[in-house]
Amino acid sequence: MGLVHFAAEKTLASSAVLLFITVLMMAAARRISTCIMLFAAQCAIITAQILAMAYVHRSPEAYAIAGFMLVIKVLTIPYALSWIVEKLKAPRDVTASTTPAQSVFIVSALILLSFFAIGPYMQVLRVDEDVLAAAITLVLTGAFLMVSRTKALMQVIGLLVLENGIFLAALVTTFGMPLIIEIGVLFDLLMGVFLMGLFVFRIRDTFDHLDVSKLRKLRG
Amino acid sequence: MLISVLLIPLLGAFAVLACRSPRLATRVALTIGALEMLAIGNVVWQVNRSGVLTAGRYLRADSLTSFFLINIGLIFGLVLTYSVGYLRHIPEGRFSSPRWFYGLVFLFLFTMVSVYLSANLGLLWIFVEATTLASALLVGYYNTEGAVEAGWKYLIVCTVGIAFALFGTITLYLAAVRAGVNPVDALDWSTLMSAAPALAGMRDLVKLAFVFVIVGYGTKIGFVPMHSWLPDAHAEAPSPISALLSAVLLNCAMYALMRFDAITCRAIGSGFSHTLLLIFGAVSIAVAALLMIVQHDLKRLLAYSSIEHMGIVAVGVGIGGPLGLYGALLHTFNHSIAKTLLFFSAGNVREHFGTLRMDRIRGMARFLPWTTGGMLVGGLAIVGMPPFGLFISEFLILTAAFTQGKYWVAAITLAGLSVVFGALLHHVQKMLSGERTQPPGETATWLPGAPKVLLTDIGPMAACGAALLVLGIRIPVSFVELLRRAMAVLS
Repeated sequence: MGLVHFAAEKTLASSAVLLFITVLMMAAARRISTCIMLFAAQCAIITAQILAMAYVHRSPEAYAIAGFMLVIKVLTIPYALSWIVEKLKAPRDVTASTTPAQSVFIVSALILLSFFAIGPYMQVLRVDEDVLAAAITLVLTGAFLMVSRTKALMQVIGLLVLENGIFLAALVTTFGMPLIIEIGVLFDLLMGVFLMGLFVFRIRDTFDHLDVSKLRKLRG
Repeated sequence: MLISVLLIPLLGAFAVLACRSPRLATRVALTIGALEMLAIGNVVWQVNRSGVLTAGRYLRADSLTSFFLINIGLIFGLVLTYSVGYLRHIPEGRFSSPRWFYGLVFLFLFTMVSVYLSANLGLLWIFVEATTLASALLVGYYNTEGAVEAGWKYLIVCTVGIAFALFGTITLYLAAVRAGVNPVDALDWSTLMSAAPALAGMRDLVKLAFVFVIVGYGTKIGFVPMHSWLPDAHAEAPSPISALLSAVLLNCAMYALMRFDAITCRAIGSGFSHTLLLIFGAVSIAVAALLMIVQHDLKRLLAYSSIEHMGIVAVGVGIGGPLGLYGALLHTFNHSIAKTLLFFSAGNVREHFGTLRMDRIRGMARFLPWTTGGMLVGGLAIVGMPPFGLFISEFLILTAAFTQGKYWVAAITLAGLSVVFGALLHHVQKMLSGERTQPPGETATWLPGAPKVLLTDIGPMAACGAALLVLGIRIPVSFVELLRRAMAVLS
């Protein structure tokens, strides 16, 4: 019993560092499939964190959320995204507007920024500083990926990372919202990814490319 | 009873999708639409009698809900009727058959009604996000380059924007839990409203929450600078959908923001949230008015006008007080009707001229007399001329601004309104007169000289015009009573 408790506490303590590693690797990644794997890893870390929390606080609701998280975010969404990448038969590089080195540098700066940003709220909140900073980093990195990567699929991944950050922030500050709300949010996300996948195919069929930065017919 | 209002469109969507023949799909859709309007009418009547209706923990209808339900029921009925004639001209495609159109429209209706009936702010967020998902395919319905681009942009921009609103919702939840509200109820609207004074100790968190919420739901409302999806989506969607987006969806997001604003005001006073609303509102009015001058596409022009009017509503809410809020609520209703009329007219123009580029549309008055009438009435109403409803609501909001000494907001609003007046009438006036010139190689769907106008095109437009006149000359007493009760919910 002591061992499980020990493992749970270690998971909570080390998850922030692991999350920082995933975002840095995502910034450096050159292929879309790598980013999908990293996203799955990120979700797995958060799931482990929820499980650890469920164990420490003895909350059955948290176990349920971890279950949904595992099925939807760790398995279904990455699998669906990889399927889309296969099916598209398009070039698989991420085509970034910044080099991997620059991206890693920017994301590191974002990590520092997150620590500064949460500073004023730490007094009121009394939560684990590293994890909250990791959550803000995920939000910022997601936004950064969306603006710097031009492939339609990378925008979806950026959005998912951003959403992960919001989810994690809710988790550390409030131990999660009521179960039904969390399930609804996850369901919305799943539907959203499904629709975006549909649109990715439509973009390819109508434009013969997937570069969103070249979609600029509508202006003004 | 509340469940039935939700189940009818949800099951209806699948029922329509199961209909193979277009004729059958149309008939089924009209029947379900009529049923849904009856159900909405019933809820409105019950709320009028007993004040608040609840169903379980998560569904709730009060007078504010019922005011917006009237809006959605009315516009939806008109849109459904108009669609019957409009869909004749859309070529059959994989996803562009009437059954897909009606199926998606009913799903869209389901999500919007759910937004109004949510008793829980988390649930409210889930359904606002669902409205984006349900309508993205409708925006991309034509499957042209422009439509796909607009659909993608709409999906991505609104999903990211709404994600910020989720962050805001979570922050408010956090503040409520820290202030001692039971975590199970801490997202409940009525619980939050009664517990709001206790949130005063969490001043910073409540402020942070409102900033995220106004950016999040503001994206959906179309506040400048988060408006980039709005003109594209409105211009590329089929006209009935543009009407739904502009007249119902924007109000839906505004409703969500109003609920948050009410809680924030009760918790930390009205200064912070109302200042933010005034700033976003004034900027939206000014920018949209200037952009309207340079538009080339009729529906883009109308879309920018929607941004401007949502700005006016935000200013009304931001000025607050009984007069400002009354004007703002009335304005959402008036704007819905006028914009529906204009988008219906634009739909007829597109079918007849085969284009929406305003420089190619000439001599409308001769070829489309009915549509011209609709466009004129709608145009005069939307720029705020008497005797139409929008004059009253804009006048009320401006009066409130002057009596409260908010002169700079009043000045920006007035300047914006004058620019819009010039821009819109200039564009419309040029389309009405002149000789019709059809550039070679472009064929209109209707043969020139033989405009076929159906009762389903004219009926809804006439209804809009009549409603605008009634609201401008004498607002029915029962409607004023409903508005007063809706305001009481917010204060």
